Amino acid sequence: MRQLNPLERQGEALRYPPGDLAVWIFILAELSVFAIFFAAYAFTRMQHVALFDQYQATLDRTSALYNTLALITASYFVVRAVAAIRENRAAQSRNWLWAGVGMGLLFLVIKGAEYAHHFAEGVRLSTNTFYMFYLSLTFFHFMHVILGIIVLAVLAVRTGQGHYDAASHTDIESGASYWHMVDLVWLILFPLVYVMH
Amino acid sequence: MTDSLTQRWMRPCTLVYGVLMGLTLITWAVGMLELQGLGVTFLVLGLALLKGHLIGDWFMGLRSVRGFWRWVIVFWLLLVGGLVGAAFWLSV
Repeated sequence: MRQLNPLERQGEALRYPPGDLAVWIFILAELSVFAIFFAAYAFTRMQHVALFDQYQATLDRTSALYNTLALITASYFVVRAVAAIRENRAAQSRNWLWAGVGMGLLFLVIKGAEYAHHFAEGVRLSTNTFYMFYLSLTFFHFMHVILGIIVLAVLAVRTGQGHYDAASHTDIESGASYWHMVDLVWLILFPLVYVMH
Repeated sequence: MTDSLTQRWMRPCTLVYGVLMGLTLITWAVGMLELQGLGVTFLVLGLALLKGHLIGDWFMGLRSVRGFWRWVIVFWLLLVGGLVGAAFWLSV
């Protein structure tokens, strides 16, 4: 899809979001899928309130807190990476992106430990309706985090190689928008699955 | 003036980051205290929607966009919030 050059972007800054428009259409598609997942969880819960409340209590809310803080921090680092490249500070932008990758990896480690704990206890998709939703929703999101980390890592390497500067950094804005979408989804998923009952 | 003061001492995104961390801690505390009731549920949901709005406006940069793209995250949040809120309200 056509990308706006910096001068066009300056003139049209109020019409289009940062990054490639194709990435934003992809983001909308992803958000739609997650919206369906969230609605399915909430409306299925209506039929099994006691079961959902009982098994929600088995989840580790403190791990979920650490994961939320890690994702928000990663998003903040990515915001700083975009700000740095806009100010033509490529080395700083690269460092912020690697810091974002680090926070993403921390999320994977914490979530992986949580999965390992559940699997050791014999929890499977077929255990009950709550765990079916919990595992599918969080694993679907987990896969998005992995993709986001790969995107950020590629951007960090390319930034370090001098591919981007203040005049040309649409790829970084696009990758940043995708990462923020991953964060946004978790900010709904965390209270919905771990807290609300 | 407030903006320039804020930018001098702290980037606006850093302030938003702090707010997001604070709201997250409140959500977690509500969960750990096992607070229940529809009011608590809507409070937690409202905090989540507010955090999502902050991400859209400040981190995704939509606050400076107009038209469809300005409101796309707000619309998504209202849709999700409305559906989830209705489901929890109907399950009481």
